[in-house]
Amino acid sequence: MSIFKEHRTNADRVASDRRRHKEKIDKAIREGIHHIVADESIIGQNGKQKFRIPVRGIKEHKFVYGDNGKQVGSAPGRDVSRGQKIGGKDRGKPQRPDKPGNESGEEYYDVEMDLGELAEYLFADLGLPDLQRKQLTNISAHKLKRNGYRPQGIIPRLDRKKSAIARIKRMKAAGFDPDKAEEGETFPFHEDDLKYRHYKLKDEPCTNAVVFFVMDVSGSMDQNKKFLARSFCFLLYQFLRSKYENIEVVFVTHDVDAKEVNEQDFFTKGTYGGTAASSGLSMVNEIISERFHPSAWNLYAVHLSDGDNYDSDNGKYLEEHAKLESMVQLFGYVELEPEKSYMEENKLSKVLLPRIRENSRCVTIKSKDDVWPAFRELLNASKGEK
Amino acid sequence: MDYNLSDLQEWDEKICAIAKKHGLDWFEIEYEFIDYYSMIGAMAFHGLPSHFNHWSFGKSFERTHHSYNAGQEGLPYELIINSNPSLAYMMRENPLPLQILIMAHCVGHSDFFKNNRTFKGTRPDTIVGRSRAAKKRIQGYVEDPTIGIDLVEQTIDSCHAVQFQIQRPGWIRRSRKEIIEHHKERLKEDPDADWLDPTHNPLEPDYDILGFISENARIPDWKRDIIEVCRDEGKYFWPQIQTKIMNEGWASYWHYTILHELDLPPEYHLAFIKSHNQVIRPHIGGINPYHLGFHLFQRIKERHGVDEMFIAREVHHDAAFIRQYLTQEDCEELNLFSYSRKKNEDVSVDDVSDEEGWEYVKKDLVSQVGGGSIPVLYVLDVRKDGSMALGHEHDGRDLDVKELKATLQHVKNLWEYDVNLDTIIDGKYMKF
Repeated sequence: MSIFKEHRTNADRVASDRRRHKEKIDKAIREGIHHIVADESIIGQNGKQKFRIPVRGIKEHKFVYGDNGKQVGSAPGRDVSRGQKIGGKDRGKPQRPDKPGNESGEEYYDVEMDLGELAEYLFADLGLPDLQRKQLTNISAHKLKRNGYRPQGIIPRLDRKKSAIARIKRMKAAGFDPDKAEEGETFPFHEDDLKYRHYKLKDEPCTNAVVFFVMDVSGSMDQNKKFLARSFCFLLYQFLRSKYENIEVVFVTHDVDAKEVNEQDFFTKGTYGGTAASSGLSMVNEIISERFHPSAWNLYAVHLSDGDNYDSDNGKYLEEHAKLESMVQLFGYVELEPEKSYMEENKLSKVLLPRIRENSRCVTIKSKDDVWPAFRELLNASKGEK
Repeated sequence: MDYNLSDLQEWDEKICAIAKKHGLDWFEIEYEFIDYYSMIGAMAFHGLPSHFNHWSFGKSFERTHHSYNAGQEGLPYELIINSNPSLAYMMRENPLPLQILIMAHCVGHSDFFKNNRTFKGTRPDTIVGRSRAAKKRIQGYVEDPTIGIDLVEQTIDSCHAVQFQIQRPGWIRRSRKEIIEHHKERLKEDPDADWLDPTHNPLEPDYDILGFISENARIPDWKRDIIEVCRDEGKYFWPQIQTKIMNEGWASYWHYTILHELDLPPEYHLAFIKSHNQVIRPHIGGINPYHLGFHLFQRIKERHGVDEMFIAREVHHDAAFIRQYLTQEDCEELNLFSYSRKKNEDVSVDDVSDEEGWEYVKKDLVSQVGGGSIPVLYVLDVRKDGSMALGHEHDGRDLDVKELKATLQHVKNLWEYDVNLDTIIDGKYMKF
């Protein structure tokens, strides 16, 4: 005879351990997220769409055997022969074919979040309250807002309906009846009947932002550099997106000439030409004057380049930069993986550095690990801190 | 539920009567009925009703919960622990025929816990109380302002890393005194016997790494206590690792036998056959311990009789059990094959169970079962500077280098001094 017991109330014994585990996962997400986001597509994620992010789990280490041991399996009723291949080299591992450099035995969790949550994780500990306040409010549009009616005004603002109503009121009060009126008797508009629409200038904080990504696509920009560029652009794009309701992105590529392209081309197309970096900035200046007036838009511009430029173009570049800098919230010059080269002193960063002011920043990215620090450094620039 | 407690009691009585008739001898079983959520919770703590807290149990919960909800895995029908009385958790949602099968299955497990030699050192009478007391003490360390949760957690992390690097069931661990006494005896018989250096520590390789650290490290008492708690738990669970195939095979054999002798209504019988086949189905490409164990116990009965079965359940663990009873015929029938991953290549089959291959397959199987997949490491020496040297019994399988490095950090954390490990990687001696 056995004992049968009713259920004890141990509703959730694991609750505290789960909470503790979640804290660790959160920490891991925050620490590793710049690696995680490196592969996401920049645009086309709308705010509501959830996407799954693989997060490296909190691994519990043990002494285990590596790969060279033999294992035994069973397969009753099936044909198995010596030398038969029974699966790829990733057999039995968590499958993450999309993650390059995945090492054996990694545990992954799929954490589902939308862009808002992702941005929260990404930018939670950036510690840039100044930046947010300043940049959200210092640009404001003066908009004309309707503000009641006035007895005086200019003719174009005359409100005919209001004026007519005022006249009818006065007519009724005077006991004038147009049907019984004698021939030739009228009840004309009096000056007091006229109502003019009144407008007032109001300051509205501007929540529009446009970010210009300018990239050098000359022969020296290889896939690796483009990958770094992509990660960086994604971070910046998501950051601005989390701060502004309405954000537009303009992609500009240049070799010796600049052109506006779509996202796909921006990251994939390349040319074999030389480089005249000024063309990219001048294109941005042009687009700004045509479509994005600085009083209505928060402007951000990032120039991604490997730093090679025609010497003869440097002067023009600085000129265009100065013009652009005066209009934008933030200008970032990102030099990608600058290898040692004989023209080190001619790199754009060397030319630009002595000339930059408060809202510009030069950063260099040598490898994937530099993306996040470079991003932080860039944002710090706009705080006005060195 | 279309049944009540008295139905279960009625079936339990019949099951116990049949089991007794067959000579099974088990701890009294306490059944407790819980929902699936509590079942996952109980699983996280390996069924122990009171257990110290650690984030890893939360992780284990999340993983089980996730894969259960995603339909990737079902929950075990039952969870029974090696205690006296045996605590068995049953899922409330299960239909009656399944509960009957599970109760018979539990009787088999409990009999195995009570009689198998491997379990002799597990102290099933006190495990529940030990675990509860440990929980209280560890909670105390967490609340102690001079210790706190972070240190406690780190220590448990490190203990878990080497929790099974302890004395395995059946292995002998001699104290210093015993080794010296034994050596003196040998010297009397043979004055030229190897000279024993009494300054050496340990005097002979010590396979109980946690034990050695606990006895020799200069660490605070609370830390030593946590190490001992984890070591005790490791000792408690080692027999279950060593006898997974036998234990499940034995329980499956008995639920199968008992249910055939129960007077089941026909509609129950069908449900029972379905569940049984589900449990003991082969996992293609892997080893289902239920399947292999059930198969072998059936063959032992056919080939050697019932008495031999009872002997096997008493004296063996998985490796010895397979070494002794798995024949070429079995290998062929189960179509066992051995495979490996060639360097940076695909997984391919090395041997199949034919005339010339089956013994190799059997050898590979023996080396992987019963904790054979846990590498054997030992404390070799503590050097004069206080650093610890670990050794590895290399049996042809290399250690995973990345894991090894991370795990060494954990050993260092416990030893609170430098720790090195010598092993062989790709045929070369390596020092980490």
